[in-house]
Amino acid sequence: MPMLRILHDTKYDFIKYWKAAAIGTIGFIVLGLALMLYHKERTGHYLNYSVEFTGGAVVQLQFASAPGPDAVRGAVSNAGFPGSEVTQFGKATDYLIRVPPKTGDASAVNADSVGAQIAATINKQLPNDQAKVVRAESVGARVGSELQTKAITAILISFMVTLIYLAFRFEWRFGVAAIIATAHDILTTMAFLAMMHLEISLTVVAALLTVIGYSLNDTIIIFDRVRENLKKQRKESLRDVLNRSINETLPRSVLTHATVLAATLSLLVFAGEVIRPFSWIMAFGVFTGTFSSIYVAGAILLWIERKWPRSTGTENKGTAKALAEGRRRERPTPVGSR
Amino acid sequence: MPLKYRVLTIVGLVLVSLFFLFPRNVTQRVRGADGILRDETVRHVPLQRGLDLKGGTYLALEVDDSKQAIPNDKKADAIERALKTVRSRIEGTGVSEAIVQKEGANRIVVQIPGEEDPQRAQKLVEEQAFLEFKITDKSQALDRALPKLDQVVKQRGLLAKADTSAKPAAQASKGLENLLKGADTSAKKADSAKKGTAVAKKDSANADSLKLQAGGAFSSLLQQGNMPGEFYVETNNIPTLETYLADSAVLAAMPPGKDFIPGTDSTSLANKWYRAYYVVDHNPIITGDYLTDARPNQSPTDGTIVEFQLTNEGGRRFRNETGKHLQDYMAIILDKRVMGRPPIINGTIGTRGQITMGGKGLAEAQDLALVLRAGALPVPLKVVQAQSIGPTLGQDSVDKGFRASLISVLLVVVIMIVYYKFSGMLAVGGLILYVLYTLAALAGFGAALTMPGIAGFVLSIGIAVDANVLIFERIREELDRGKTVRTAIDEGFRHAMPAIVDSNVSTILTAAVLYQYGTGPVKGFAVTLIAGIVASLVTSIFVVRTFYLLWLSRSRGAQTLSI
Repeated sequence: MPMLRILHDTKYDFIKYWKAAAIGTIGFIVLGLALMLYHKERTGHYLNYSVEFTGGAVVQLQFASAPGPDAVRGAVSNAGFPGSEVTQFGKATDYLIRVPPKTGDASAVNADSVGAQIAATINKQLPNDQAKVVRAESVGARVGSELQTKAITAILISFMVTLIYLAFRFEWRFGVAAIIATAHDILTTMAFLAMMHLEISLTVVAALLTVIGYSLNDTIIIFDRVRENLKKQRKESLRDVLNRSINETLPRSVLTHATVLAATLSLLVFAGEVIRPFSWIMAFGVFTGTFSSIYVAGAILLWIERKWPRSTGTENKGTAKALAEGRRRERPTPVGSR
Repeated sequence: MPLKYRVLTIVGLVLVSLFFLFPRNVTQRVRGADGILRDETVRHVPLQRGLDLKGGTYLALEVDDSKQAIPNDKKADAIERALKTVRSRIEGTGVSEAIVQKEGANRIVVQIPGEEDPQRAQKLVEEQAFLEFKITDKSQALDRALPKLDQVVKQRGLLAKADTSAKPAAQASKGLENLLKGADTSAKKADSAKKGTAVAKKDSANADSLKLQAGGAFSSLLQQGNMPGEFYVETNNIPTLETYLADSAVLAAMPPGKDFIPGTDSTSLANKWYRAYYVVDHNPIITGDYLTDARPNQSPTDGTIVEFQLTNEGGRRFRNETGKHLQDYMAIILDKRVMGRPPIINGTIGTRGQITMGGKGLAEAQDLALVLRAGALPVPLKVVQAQSIGPTLGQDSVDKGFRASLISVLLVVVIMIVYYKFSGMLAVGGLILYVLYTLAALAGFGAALTMPGIAGFVLSIGIAVDANVLIFERIREELDRGKTVRTAIDEGFRHAMPAIVDSNVSTILTAAVLYQYGTGPVKGFAVTLIAGIVASLVTSIFVVRTFYLLWLSRSRGAQTLSI
């Protein structure tokens, strides 16, 4: 049986397009930041934070039959919660009501009593659309800011840990390039969050960290090839090595991204509203991860190489070529490996 | 490793996994519709579901220092002691698989799966359950202090703030007073139905002799009640009264050695609702410290009651004190609120007593008995985070998550078999074992499956084949270089190793950070991710390799490999 091959033995010059890629991704991030400023102006928050971070309460109601959003909104403010945000949640019969935190109250507003109050008022006002509380959550303002700090700490620590691991397994250049690629992924994902106005909950932070892990995974696969190809004593510039490594790993990338995307899309389509923001971020992560592995991690690696060639004093071992020469002079230098 | 042992290892792992996943009987106590606990035996796969899938209540509690200041160094210790009380209260409800644990230095996290009434759960843990018995004041201490209190309220400028609400009350005060007295008998009847003990003395004379000075901001809120030290406050005026009572100068002007405490019951008179407040001695005659047992019960005369029993020492003290206070009224105070109407002390009370629940039901009596048995919280607690998920939403998530998993597995299987043919089938075989191992690991470690966890699992199915893809692509490369099938397979596995290890280790590290810093569902996600990665490493590196070796030994000298 013949092998089914996709993009086998390709020789694309990926690195050539780095300028266009850089402009594209910076444009995307800037657009995202502009949208964040716009959101800030409109809602007071840069991103659409969940109650876990802002404090306050959220109540999910399920109606027996679909009422209009305005009817629900009216009932909610009659229940004594003006300024609440009322949105439809997946189905026409499901509503999510976000109640802002009471100012100056450290403890959580009682979500269940909020839910019960809203449900009671609604059931009185809209007797034909009986509502029941399917989910209620409340977070005190202090816990909210604490969770925020925790989320940021988690992201930073996972940064540190991966940097240390990469420095240990590869070399600092690779580590730095990978971390910058990761930072890029976070920025693009934030921009994406701003564009989709997705709600940022702890689950979304988990998704963000997974995207980071996934993107890092991809970067490592390419860097592993680079590490291996550098050892092969070829008279090649790092740029060519990089291009070749990307091309060699291309079939794997395509296939893996296909399977992950298949899994992510089935989550997005079939797993329901609760997990949807997570699914969106993962779907986006597949693309930004692939992109950043090539155009951010790769480009940064080249840039570091130019800025700080692998030389100290007289020995010029900045490039793979120099390294190969170095090897020929029987001075093995641990490039790209421990 | 010889092939035989490889196969044996895989079979062994499968058997262990099946053992962990084998459905078993679990006995759990379930609260029926009538609020009574019953044992029920259920048979299910021992995979724990998190609160977001099962439905239930999550509460995070901290020391409440809004009312009394608690030094920070004492908080940790207080939380430690409170933890025990909260745990025994939650366990007392009979919910199986409830989790009560400390998080950080001064937070208690309570997870009650399946609890459908989160407000009840919150009440159960927030109630400090500090039980006191105090004698109501019969020296008219408050009445004498009223002029001064009115003056203080005026001086402090509290009046302006509460002016609007206070005025109509003052005007209506006279009429209400009459109404109250007129309705005295009916109220009495209702009360005496609740409390067999409270029938002894006519004390309306007492109320008559007292003329509350209508007009004073403080005194106008109060209506003389039916027993010494009892006052009625219109429900609308309670917030005003509470603001007064929160003021330090007002507190200083209160009669010394006495407390002014609201009751739990409201009475309706002429379409207006009133709450009783009581002036009681500051020093309790006895506290709940001596309590050994408390049981809910139904009494034909008093309705729902909680019967309690005191230790012998407590009983002795109680007998002594009640002996001194014959014909006085005794307020039963739980967490600074008078439970029901204070009964009159007709005779000495020993080790046994009862608390009437007013109109409340058996479920509430059960809860009160429970918190009394578990003992008082050393410090008041407040809920800082609460979450409740209805069981229907949880089941919906499970169904959808299951469907998404199934579809993603199908898609991945199709992709792998179409692209890699025979080798793809080996990978799918590995994938099946992967699913089995991951679920078994989750069951074995008792990790709870959450919605993000399911998402992580679905995702890890997609990622799991990555290792296979890396290996297969390597084998193809080796085959391209003209190597024999056996060598190509060996080399392919060997060369793919560093990339597989490095990428998976970095993902595990990220997941570990998530586990450390995440809460609830996110922790579940991290656990699933880690279990998934480890299982994927085992299947792709070891299991699929063994499949290849098996195939090679069957078809010796195979010249081509379908990959």
